[in-house]
Amino acid sequence: MPTIEVEHLQKVFRIPHEKRNTIFESLAGSFKPPQYETFQALNDINFTVEEGEALGIIGENGSGKSTLLKIIANILRPTRGNVKVHKKITPFLELGVGFQPNFTASENVKTYATIMGISRREIESKLDDVLEFAGLEKFRDTKLKNFSSGMQVRLAFSTAIQTDPEILLMDEVLAVGDMEFQQKCLDVLNQYRKEGVTIVFVSHDLGSVRRFCDKTLLLNKGVQVALGNTGDVIDRYVYGGNQASEQVVSETEQVEVEGEPETKNRWGDKEVEITGVEFYDKFGNSGSRFNSFDPVTIRIFYQAHKKIFDPVFGIALYSEKGDNLFGTNTELKNLTIDSIEGSGYIDLVIDRLPILTGRFSLTVAVHSHDHKPYDWHDRLYSFDVMPTSRDAGFFEIPCNWKL
Amino acid sequence: MILKHLNELYDYRDLIWKLSWGEFKLRYKNSVLGYFWSLLEPLLMLTVLYLVFSNLMRVQVEHYQLFLLMGIILWNFLSRSTTIGMFAIVGRPDMIKKIYFPRDIFVISSCITALLMSLFESVVFFIFMAVFRVPISVNLVYAPLILIFLFTLALGISMALSALNVYYRDVQFIWDVLMQAGFFATPILYSMDILPETLQKIVLLNPMSRIIISARDTVIYSTPASPEDLLFMFASSAIFLIIGYAVFSRLEPGFAEEI
Repeated sequence: MPTIEVEHLQKVFRIPHEKRNTIFESLAGSFKPPQYETFQALNDINFTVEEGEALGIIGENGSGKSTLLKIIANILRPTRGNVKVHKKITPFLELGVGFQPNFTASENVKTYATIMGISRREIESKLDDVLEFAGLEKFRDTKLKNFSSGMQVRLAFSTAIQTDPEILLMDEVLAVGDMEFQQKCLDVLNQYRKEGVTIVFVSHDLGSVRRFCDKTLLLNKGVQVALGNTGDVIDRYVYGGNQASEQVVSETEQVEVEGEPETKNRWGDKEVEITGVEFYDKFGNSGSRFNSFDPVTIRIFYQAHKKIFDPVFGIALYSEKGDNLFGTNTELKNLTIDSIEGSGYIDLVIDRLPILTGRFSLTVAVHSHDHKPYDWHDRLYSFDVMPTSRDAGFFEIPCNWKL
Repeated sequence: MILKHLNELYDYRDLIWKLSWGEFKLRYKNSVLGYFWSLLEPLLMLTVLYLVFSNLMRVQVEHYQLFLLMGIILWNFLSRSTTIGMFAIVGRPDMIKKIYFPRDIFVISSCITALLMSLFESVVFFIFMAVFRVPISVNLVYAPLILIFLFTLALGISMALSALNVYYRDVQFIWDVLMQAGFFATPILYSMDILPETLQKIVLLNPMSRIIISARDTVIYSTPASPEDLLFMFASSAIFLIIGYAVFSRLEPGFAEEI
């Protein structure tokens, strides 16, 4: 039997043009109908979550993920449709709700525990554990206002995990805190999964979603785009999520290339012109977002205005901060191009993208054998890499631990 | 449905208590005299009113100090619980927007906070009773019953006000004015017999009038409460509670969006 059932769920927010906040304004305004914008936050969402299942919800910012979670948690009410929840919900929507800065750590733990639905007797006996887990034993009687925000989160989290949840709603909880804290969160999440707790998990961290969720729901602008096996849905998100906006991006890039021949990011004598650069994912679709470790092909379109002998094509990869991470060209890879003429393209095939996560910019250039630039596009292209593993840093270095 | 809700509230009893007690502590946490403010405030008010009304206005009432103090304490409870209660929802945007439990819990616990404060104040009253050697009679058994009616009335009003305050922020000013007027329209400073008969009837329609009169009768004057008064108090507080909940549950779904 499903634990959570969502049927034809629709949520419309009404945003009034002028807010009537007083009785007087309402009376005065009752002659003209109130004007408001409607914003469709969610439209026709349907899914069920079985007992013990973990559902991931992914999507761009503003796609309705948090709204959906709030409706499941009964904080917001649906405009149309039904949401049935058959068990008790423990919301981890935000940690530390109801913390009182003027009370001490132990007082706050007790209050927060009650909010999270832990009985008073239970929390009395667990108070020491909570403080120890948070690493705050020494600050038991310190007022919360003297705590750093990190300490507060730790305190909230270690209290929250004392609950015995039936359904757990998590919204970006993992986004706060340092690596160590995130690890703790993940351990707890794992523990809950093993115990058969039903979990609904909203996150931008596709790596965690991939690891924890049996199935995943992809939202785009309030519309249910895909629901199913987590791996497939994440692929759909990364590679097919918003084709429309990507096309706009590449069009503007093209305009830039044609319209402004000599910008500060572009130089060269244009005997060979680079007319476009496309990235292709493992399905052969053009895009600018890739999972780490997936294959990517970079295709460089060129137009040679006369017959050019021995040209060299090259790329250079930069981090967001501008560090040069990698660069190569056809010469370095021992590819000699005798001559080119007219239009064509050349592919750089990457079998496995060893980048972990982030946004990267790319320089694409074509120059002569003796380094005279024909057309140099300095960091004009960019793509994003979505994490699939939990290693830290930019790159993966293939390695093994041995004992 | 009502039973189910009561059951739910029972499940949250720890939270209700925690919120009430927390708020109670918080109110005195940062004041030098701490809890004694709670005692000092009605005493100061009593002193002023007593001086004015027994000397200047020459009010002739037996045990006028106690008469006055009882009225002040009970009226203070109504005014305090509705004022705290009115902000029970608006004052906690965090809790409303980020977590869910039955939201009347906030209103109930703020009324309990007010009750705790008033019970604490009434210590002064009983000290006064002892000082003036006013005997306590069996009729004191009515007192808890009257207190329940008063609490129910205050809760009903607070429920409606807390919900309306989310949508209309001027409710607080309107309510302030009403409470000011109510203070004089209720027999707190005077006894009923100074009023002409027609006016008495009107004043008695105010549920607070009967509550204060019956409380004085049973506690100070050893007179049992009349069945008519009890029935009226029961009916009026029940009606206020029902209306309060009706308004509240009508407006509650929009709280998280409006606040």
